Amino acid sequence: MDAIFASIEQTPFSVWMREDLYAYFIALIFHSIGMALLIGGGIVVSLRGMGVARNTAFEKFRGFFPVMWFGAVMAIVSGLALLIGYPAKALTNPLFAVKFACLIGAAMLVREMALRLFPAMGPGEAAPAWGRRLAIAALVLWLCGVAAGKLLLHTYTILLVS
Amino acid sequence: MDPFLDPIAIEQWARDVGIFGMMNSKWGWPIAEIIHFFGLCLLIGTVGMFDLRMMGVARGVTMKELHRLVPFGIAGYAMCVVTGLLFVVTAPGQYLYNPAMQMKIVLMAVAGVNMAMFYATAAAGVNAAGADDLPPVRARVIGLVSLSCWLGVIVAGRLVTFFRPPEHWCLWCVAG
Repeated sequence: MDAIFASIEQTPFSVWMREDLYAYFIALIFHSIGMALLIGGGIVVSLRGMGVARNTAFEKFRGFFPVMWFGAVMAIVSGLALLIGYPAKALTNPLFAVKFACLIGAAMLVREMALRLFPAMGPGEAAPAWGRRLAIAALVLWLCGVAAGKLLLHTYTILLVS
Repeated sequence: MDPFLDPIAIEQWARDVGIFGMMNSKWGWPIAEIIHFFGLCLLIGTVGMFDLRMMGVARGVTMKELHRLVPFGIAGYAMCVVTGLLFVVTAPGQYLYNPAMQMKIVLMAVAGVNMAMFYATAAAGVNAAGADDLPPVRARVIGLVSLSCWLGVIVAGRLVTFFRPPEHWCLWCVAG
């Protein structure tokens, strides 16, 4: 595995990500904004599922999905750039997998809400108990994804292998 | 020489009351960072989405209803302020004279004035608007300014580590 990390680290793009004065910070900025839009949208959908702002049909919250998609694309592209800069730093840290699992899990729960809860919850209607549990689980997973991402900076054991 | 702020005294105070020790423990700083970004996510997830709705996104969601989420945003803001203060008093030399930090404070102040403008001039129109309506132009501009400020706060926050000492910006030192 170290050989793969080393070969990535030696690509011109990886070297540029590490050595350019601005590249890494610009990618970090885009990653933060993308994550904030993705998770921000996820939070608003989860809160509606939990019963806040219930006088609007849940279906209407689908309007925030384009914002979440925009944020997700921004976070993924910038995240890939960050990953190519320091592949071993991220991929040897188990929290990286935790972050991914949480975010993918949260996104799947939002999809589940869109499929099963959105059509069932008109204006003024609260979610059934299972629906509220789904919304709470999604909110917790979004926040755990954030926590795991933040901890990456403090828990890595390998920075570079080459 | 700074005529208003004394970073050494601030850090000494943080040491005296135990904040410095807590923040420099193994998990103090990371946990504060997590809470800080939780707060930002809550802010963007509620105030930011309200701003987007005012700008015309997600029509069909009444702004009056979406406004019910704002208390969560205020809670997020409080989380950010408390943890932000912990960072500043623990390492005042890194933050007080940091241009990115100063820009962050300015953007937060602009967002605060903008919010006051919203409640003074646009909130009634927004609350009266129907689910599919675009709010008045003034409200749309306020939404754009608000969202720009909060995204700018994220950008500035990221740049704080870019402008570490010896970077030293202190306009008020010159004025003083």
